[in-house]
Amino acid sequence: MQISMVKKIKADGSPCRKCQEVGERLKSAGLEDRINRVIIADEREPDSEGMQLAVQYQIDRAPFFLVEEEGQEPRIYTVYMRFLKEVLQTEASEEEQLKDILDSSPDLDYI
Amino acid sequence: MTKEFDTEQLAKEYRDKSPQEILALALEHFDTAAISFSGAEDVVLVDMASRIRPDFKVFSLDTGRLHPETYRLFEQVRKHYKVDIDVLSPDKEAVEQLVREKGLFSFYEDGHKECCGIRKVAPLRKKLATLDAWITGQRKDQSPGTRADVPVVEKDIAFSTPDHSLIKFNPLSFWSSAQVWQYIRENDVPYNELHTKGFVSIGCEPCTRPVLPNQHEREGRWWWEEATMKECGLHAGNIKQQTG
Repeated sequence: MQISMVKKIKADGSPCRKCQEVGERLKSAGLEDRINRVIIADEREPDSEGMQLAVQYQIDRAPFFLVEEEGQEPRIYTVYMRFLKEVLQTEASEEEQLKDILDSSPDLDYI
Repeated sequence: MTKEFDTEQLAKEYRDKSPQEILALALEHFDTAAISFSGAEDVVLVDMASRIRPDFKVFSLDTGRLHPETYRLFEQVRKHYKVDIDVLSPDKEAVEQLVREKGLFSFYEDGHKECCGIRKVAPLRKKLATLDAWITGQRKDQSPGTRADVPVVEKDIAFSTPDHSLIKFNPLSFWSSAQVWQYIRENDVPYNELHTKGFVSIGCEPCTRPVLPNQHEREGRWWWEEATMKECGLHAGNIKQQTG
């Protein structure tokens, strides 16, 4: 299994805060080594590999994870918790789960 | 007991129907459907539901940090519509731990999500686990920066689990704020006093402020957070489309 994490560099050249945060969460959970490759989606460079992957898989948020296994269609995960559970087979803490729900559902701000 | 529910087909079919028709679909199909009432403009859903099904259900999230005006509206609505509002409180220990470790205003430094997670999302998730469907006052025009659509009915991916499928209805999705207010005036619906003081979007007291004329309502919420912190999208306009 090959796992790639696609991180965004914003149009002003700064790293995406959410991508950094997810990276830190992987690190603190001791899961950083499970990511085989980090790919950059640079908003200043439409040809950057990450931006092209976003187009190819019609992804409009970062970070996202690309999971490739021989003989199978690549799988994309935009929800960190789901990636954690289904790919890395790890349960997140409730605090992380709640944060992830808010991150992936900005519409909840209006509830 | 619920019949099979094809959300994608119904979202298309009901896209141009009135909020009342969408609400009727929810209330007539799901016995356990409940309205999430925040104490703001979504009060119109309570009024509409009262005309469709007298035994409709309502819940509200009491974060402990709401404005007194919002608590007064909860009470006014309870009496006016003779409805029991299930007022949900956050987990006491989780709140105490947050306050002990980070103080009462940590959101001004760390962002609002940790506090919202404890005070709002956790009790919401617990409540939604008991329902087959919920109804929100979300509108497409509330967050113009969000590219995601707000379908009138959808499977709630955030709160569904492998063992429990949850349907979410957004009957006001395609209404504007002006249409909501026209309904409130025409039907003499009780509303939050804060609206008369310049508040448009209403949440917790420390995180909500009035906006100026023509300012978007979003600017009245978490204004200290950079726009970039609220947005993690990959900007499609910057992506060169591959051809061939």
